[in-house]
Amino acid sequence: MTSEAKTHAIDIASMQRGESNLNLADEQITLQVQDLRLSYGDKEALHGINMDIPKNRVTAFIGPSGCGKSTLLRCFNRMNDLVDSCNITGKILLDGDNIYDRTVNVADLRRRVGMVFQKPNPFPKSIYENVAYGLRIQGINKKRVIDETVEWALRSAALWDEVKDRLHESALGMSGGQQQRLVIARTVAVKPEVLLLDEPASALDPISTLKIEELIHELKDNFTIVIVTHNMQQAARVSDYTAFMYMGDLIEFGATDALFTKPEKKQTEDYITGRYG
Amino acid sequence: MRYSVSEWTKSGSPWVWLNAGAVAICVIMVVGLLGLIAVRGLAHFWPADVIQATYTQGEQSRRIMGEMVQQEMVPAEQLRGAGVEVPEGVEAMRRDLLKVGNRDFGSADFVWAMDHLITDKTYPEMIMAAERLEWGNFYGYLREIRENGETVTRYEGHAKSDEYLNLWATFQDRLDRVLEIREQILEIEKHKIGSINYELERLRLKERSLELKQSTDAQAYADIEARRAELNADYEVLQQDLIDLYTQINRDSFVAEIADGREVEISLAKVVRAFLPNNMGTGDKLMHYAAKLWEFLSDEPREANTEGGIFPAIFGTVMMVILMSVLVTPFGVIAAVYLREYAKQGFVTRLIRIAVNNLAGVPSIVYGVFGLGFFVYFLGGTIDDLFFPEAKPAPTFGTGGLMWASITLALLTVPVVIVATEEGLARIPRSVREGSLALGATKFETLMKVVLPMASPAMMTGVILAIARAAGEVAPLMLVGVVKLAPSLPLDGNYPFLHLDQKFMHLGFHIYDVGFQSPNVEAARPLVYATAFLLVVVIALLNFSAIAIRNHLREKYKALEM
Repeated sequence: MTSEAKTHAIDIASMQRGESNLNLADEQITLQVQDLRLSYGDKEALHGINMDIPKNRVTAFIGPSGCGKSTLLRCFNRMNDLVDSCNITGKILLDGDNIYDRTVNVADLRRRVGMVFQKPNPFPKSIYENVAYGLRIQGINKKRVIDETVEWALRSAALWDEVKDRLHESALGMSGGQQQRLVIARTVAVKPEVLLLDEPASALDPISTLKIEELIHELKDNFTIVIVTHNMQQAARVSDYTAFMYMGDLIEFGATDALFTKPEKKQTEDYITGRYG
Repeated sequence: MRYSVSEWTKSGSPWVWLNAGAVAICVIMVVGLLGLIAVRGLAHFWPADVIQATYTQGEQSRRIMGEMVQQEMVPAEQLRGAGVEVPEGVEAMRRDLLKVGNRDFGSADFVWAMDHLITDKTYPEMIMAAERLEWGNFYGYLREIRENGETVTRYEGHAKSDEYLNLWATFQDRLDRVLEIREQILEIEKHKIGSINYELERLRLKERSLELKQSTDAQAYADIEARRAELNADYEVLQQDLIDLYTQINRDSFVAEIADGREVEISLAKVVRAFLPNNMGTGDKLMHYAAKLWEFLSDEPREANTEGGIFPAIFGTVMMVILMSVLVTPFGVIAAVYLREYAKQGFVTRLIRIAVNNLAGVPSIVYGVFGLGFFVYFLGGTIDDLFFPEAKPAPTFGTGGLMWASITLALLTVPVVIVATEEGLARIPRSVREGSLALGATKFETLMKVVLPMASPAMMTGVILAIARAAGEVAPLMLVGVVKLAPSLPLDGNYPFLHLDQKFMHLGFHIYDVGFQSPNVEAARPLVYATAFLLVVVIALLNFSAIAIRNHLREKYKALEM
């Protein structure tokens, strides 16, 4: 009831702004964030975020360090649950259902909302087993199914050609860029609806970064992607929508082209022109 | 160029020297200790030359034969006090310890003799040495072979000659026959009759338990009776075989001249091994040495543990350590996982950690007493009441045994495993756990599939430390199951194969027993060294195998270095 009211309020607000950068009318919405507040102990890190993440689009979060963009991202698959002192109010709706509802199985949620971290974190297993991990967790044991899915996932992550001859070697012997694509393949293999990327290229060299960006472009057809990045050029290159956050507030959210060319807010403009951050 | 002391201190080199010196001293001490016990222990198996000499004391002089064991200088005053004549101006005199053997014909098998009173030292090639089942070593000249008390061949004289060598060859042939027969006797007594006895005992228990249940199942009683008759018949047959074999083995004997000139007759059935030490080349001696060493490693003890081998003790030690590891690993790991991963960190967990760390410092004898009181008497007694009432009043688990000893040691070492595993868990990077959780794995799945495998090298470190501590522990074991001489190994061919309730032998306790409880100190001393050396080797081997496993795991999960 309240959620509808809030959504409604945003719509009114954007209408009131007149020529808004944000027009989600033609988009299907996957994730809806409603008045999300998060605090670590006494310190509030997110001060009431409201936003809609469109389906099969790339949404980028930008902002200076400590602005809460990673924290917000980690709310989408409840990774913040692991932090003891973390306290969350508000709602996040995934296809209309609140993921913070008591009845939600967190493991199921995380299967639907996959996440790739800043530093590649492959398991100390073979390449094949890394990709098969999520499937085995789901109880899929048929070799044929796993074989097919592993190949599909590795192809999706543009890694198949590089590793097809050494699938059973340790994943730890790969380069950093390959490891990160492996982690993406691993995440893709469980076929999530949403793919959260937390600065996926920040630990990589430029060529690997380029590959990851191309990959994001490819993956957008099948997944809703949310990416956190420090790199504004990267946000401009890969994303359809961009959210600028500052000090725990969502300052501006709009179509990427518009946000980078004619930002509505002064703070956004200052940030993207390099005046702070 | 001159440096001032303060500059030299500041440069840090004194500390480097200090550290290097400390390390060097440690290494020297360890190597020295190992060298000492290795040399003293391993030299025991070398066939020493047998000396023949004249020993003059006052008016009397007599011939002595034996192995030179030890020489030492004794202060003159001490000798004068003991009534030995010592010339003026001499401060110390040499004294020799000779192993003269022949305990059944003389008084002691070790004799101290003043070196200057020993004259005419020779090493006659034809002196024979024999190891026997009883009475220790024998030294003398072979004279005669007898069969059923009648002379077969005889030779007089001490020099090396063809006749003597022929006599010796006959002796060896007959000894080989005796050894073969003894093998058969052992096979029958130990294995065949052993398993019959075992089954008879089980039948007795079965019958007793039927009686206790006041069963009226006549068929069951009849079955037992039938089987018992069968076994008794088997036993009769074996008994007859044994009697035959004993008659055969007692057929031959030999006569030999001992040091004081007497001729004595000894049954060949008593001889384990005979050789001519002074007539052996280096190759022969090496062969002999290898055979003795193998006997030491693979045979059972004889003569109150001062002769023969120590295989049951090696076996018991290894068995107990393995059981201990099998018990301690899951308990330690589960406790550590709960403490680190599931328990809410706070005052209580801190308290538990402190308690665990202190537990590692409790003297081991306290664990022994606890094991005896709680495990053996309370748990064991209860188990006996519940499951083995038919064996009563003889205890089954209500007395010390392999299982209780392993559990007591597991309790003793569990803190080490907990601490090591906790450290290992703490070192697993958060990112890897998150990676697994983000794929939809639950915390438990993440633990089982990612975290625990990655922490396994740390667990192995804990197990290695536990093994190192447990294998060297003796005090608690004396209370919960180690004995001086165990009649059978805890693992054998009789169902259920692994006998957890049995008492067992242990190398550490064996050292104590041989060294300090033995009636024959001189004979036992080299064995103490040898056993100590072996104990160190066994512990080292156990450790090395655990370290090898850990290194293999480390190689597999070296992501931690990222």
